[in-house]
Amino acid sequence: MPITSRLASSIAGFALALAASAASAEVVAVVSAKSPLSSLSKNEVADIFLGKASRFPDGSTAVPIDQAEGSAVREEFYLKFAGKSPAQLTAHWSKIIFTGRGQPPRIASTSAELKRLIAENPGAIGYLEQNMVDGSVKALPPP
Amino acid sequence: MPNNLFQRGIRCKAGVQTAAALLVALHVADAVADDDAAARMFSFSGFGTFGLVHSSEQQADFTSTIFKPNGAGYSRAWSADVDSLIAGQVIANFTPKVSAVLQVVSEQNYDNTYRPHVEWANVKYQFTPDFSARIGRTALPVFMLTDSRLIGYANPWVRPPIELYGLSSITSNDGVDASYRLALGSAINTVQVSAGQTDFRFPTAGGSGVGHARDLAWFVDTFERGFTTLRVSYGETRVTVPLYAPLFDAFREFGPEGTAIADKYDVNRRLVRFLGLGASYDPGTWFVMGEWGDIDSDSIIGDNSGWYVSSGYRFGKFTPYVTFAARRADSTTSDPGLTLAGLPPVLAGTAGALNASLNSQLGTRVVQNTLSIGSRWDFTKNAALKLQLEHTRHGAGSAGTLINVQPGFQPGGGVNVISATIDFVF
Repeated sequence: MPITSRLASSIAGFALALAASAASAEVVAVVSAKSPLSSLSKNEVADIFLGKASRFPDGSTAVPIDQAEGSAVREEFYLKFAGKSPAQLTAHWSKIIFTGRGQPPRIASTSAELKRLIAENPGAIGYLEQNMVDGSVKALPPP
Repeated sequence: MPNNLFQRGIRCKAGVQTAAALLVALHVADAVADDDAAARMFSFSGFGTFGLVHSSEQQADFTSTIFKPNGAGYSRAWSADVDSLIAGQVIANFTPKVSAVLQVVSEQNYDNTYRPHVEWANVKYQFTPDFSARIGRTALPVFMLTDSRLIGYANPWVRPPIELYGLSSITSNDGVDASYRLALGSAINTVQVSAGQTDFRFPTAGGSGVGHARDLAWFVDTFERGFTTLRVSYGETRVTVPLYAPLFDAFREFGPEGTAIADKYDVNRRLVRFLGLGASYDPGTWFVMGEWGDIDSDSIIGDNSGWYVSSGYRFGKFTPYVTFAARRADSTTSDPGLTLAGLPPVLAGTAGALNASLNSQLGTRVVQNTLSIGSRWDFTKNAALKLQLEHTRHGAGSAGTLINVQPGFQPGGGVNVISATIDFVF
């Protein structure tokens, strides 16, 4: 009996931990509600934001829009999707900019502005806290 | 961060100079919009490194490339010339398809000056997001990091391993290149082809020499999938180094035998071929990468190869790493030269001197390996501090990549080097 109760309490603890992590704003990749896309892998999203890919899997042009520098959502996005810290991201773009290979994505000043830009442009892709997602944009889960 | 840092650098600087200007800008929305447009057409940015290097060998200099005339060890105990540099870049986006870049770098030159030189100056036409062509000066992507070798902030170590990166004296191309990127499922393949020419200047005992690379053609294929990158690089060029001409002209005075030696080693429009292979895996918290390269020429340049493997682990702001690199000479490092027997004593003396000169050139071939450990510390935004310790062992009779070798130097030994750098971008 003590064993089962301990098991039960650890399961409850695990469930609580899960709930807590879900509550701390999960970052999701988003496109316009008008976009035909329904899913995109983490690597595909990362490649677009790191300047390695310019198209969605269906061949249409992808226009990435970044969140403000220093924002928590931006740091979490690059860590989760590309495995890169802010310093690694600066190193990545330094290499690209100073070898003339490209320039970083355009930046939206707030999540609200980003959502508006994404909603209006079917070719645009961005990322938001899960709780910011509404009917104007759709989250892209991995396939 | 990169956007503010790089795309709007001019506007940000102007903004912080005076709070008044900022206030005015805030109030005059139209002016801000105009300012934005101008800032998007021209963007200024830069990078640099300040470094100090100490070598345990006092009878020769340690330095980073063959283009530098002195370094740490013999010339001075601690040298700032080995790694220090500063670079500024302007990008002009004339239209969404037409852009231009100018990058100027100041670092220790072959003549011991810091006179700035143009590293990049080209105009790019972006036909599609995946296909572009450039005309002008570009850095040549000989090895994986050749075109970004000066950007310390972008690289894990103090400097790319000289065992591989020192193989090529050619790092630049004046001509044209084109790049085509193709998505293959979840992988991306990029082909880059370059054609053109370049000149390079290097220090010599008491002066300098020049090399001319003509009919330069290069092909690079880069395959990326997720965290994995694979790369093949192949290039050919015709190289002339006029410095060698007097030596081989003298050999030609010695009849068919001397002419044969001159034809074998002279560097006069001589075909030089490069092959490079590279791979890296970088999932974010750690990385491993390796490269191998070979330069081959039927001349005194010879056949040389180098490789390295390196791995690092990222603990928050610290990235300790370890690297092993090796260089070898795959062709002869000595030659019997002219037959002295039977020559009149006066000519035998001259022939002996020519043979000695040829062999001293062949003997400067680099044979060495280096084990280095170090760490990068991202101590603040846009700047990193690196500390690196390396131990190099020279092959028998070789001084490795050391320069200004003094009579008291013992070849075939080892050397310890400590380097500290601060790399920054702005």
